[in-house]
Amino acid sequence: MKSKSFCVLIGIISLLFISSCTNSQNKSGEPEKTDTMAQTEVVNPDTVTSVDTTGQPMDKPKQELSKVLIYNFHVTNRCVSCIAIEEATTKTLKTYFAAELRQGRIKQYILNVDDDANSKVAEKYQAFGSGLYVTRIFKGKETTTDLTGDGFKFAKNKEEKFIEILKNKISEYLK
Amino acid sequence: MKKTVIISFLLLFSVGVFSQKNNDTIIANNAQNLRLKVFYFHITNRCNTCFSIEKYVRQTIDNNFANQLELGIVDLYILNCELPENRDLVKKYDAYGATLALTSYSNGKEEKSEDLTGWAFKKVHEPNIFISELKAKIEESIK
Repeated sequence: MKSKSFCVLIGIISLLFISSCTNSQNKSGEPEKTDTMAQTEVVNPDTVTSVDTTGQPMDKPKQELSKVLIYNFHVTNRCVSCIAIEEATTKTLKTYFAAELRQGRIKQYILNVDDDANSKVAEKYQAFGSGLYVTRIFKGKETTTDLTGDGFKFAKNKEEKFIEILKNKISEYLK
Repeated sequence: MKKTVIISFLLLFSVGVFSQKNNDTIIANNAQNLRLKVFYFHITNRCNTCFSIEKYVRQTIDNNFANQLELGIVDLYILNCELPENRDLVKKYDAYGATLALTSYSNGKEEKSEDLTGWAFKKVHEPNIFISELKAKIEESIK
């Protein structure tokens, strides 16, 4: 008697399990995207198109969004200020611009100027040692702000001030 | 005996670790003649770039304004911003790390300050340009 009840119970659990597996597929039979996939999906900021409430594309032209590139240059033997600049830059991006980083609107490059592979970009920015440059790219035009001085002034002993300066500059460049 | 040696060694070690030596340079010869104060702040653990900026500031003044330095027309301050005795100046100049600033004076009164930190880090890798441009800025301030 006991074993019969046990078999019935196992049967019910199996049915419930199969039913839940069937429901996890959409009508087309393809599995739904997981949260992790959705989080890592990269949106191309150059091709954001507006849609109306019916889901039809509107007549408005594609809206081009600016991109922001952050360059942290350093030499091989780094000093405390140089390391502090990189750490505070990364902290600023993770704290205030995580979404834009994920979307690819902001990119951070940490480059050793002593490495031959970085010579061209270092030359472009005239970065011969530690340097922090923020570049805005919009409609093919580049605008750069050199924040090296602010980095050396504030990043180590007044980090909150440095973060405020960098945050404001990035926000301005994202507009 | 052994204990005494160990304690002495530890004391010497702790003094070396926890004390910050004051190597500041202050050249201020005559407040009545003062037209310009040149400030360069730095942290305790300095990098090559920071040393280079100080070197070129000193070269600019020594080679072009030695007379004005002696007369008190130009003052030079090379200060460690992490020393407690410099706290007020650090606050005034927002100099929490390497900072180069010029402050002009007229009739004993402070006129205006210019923060040249960004400029200094940009030009430090071209010493001749650094020195000639800083020379021009100082000349402009004391003319």
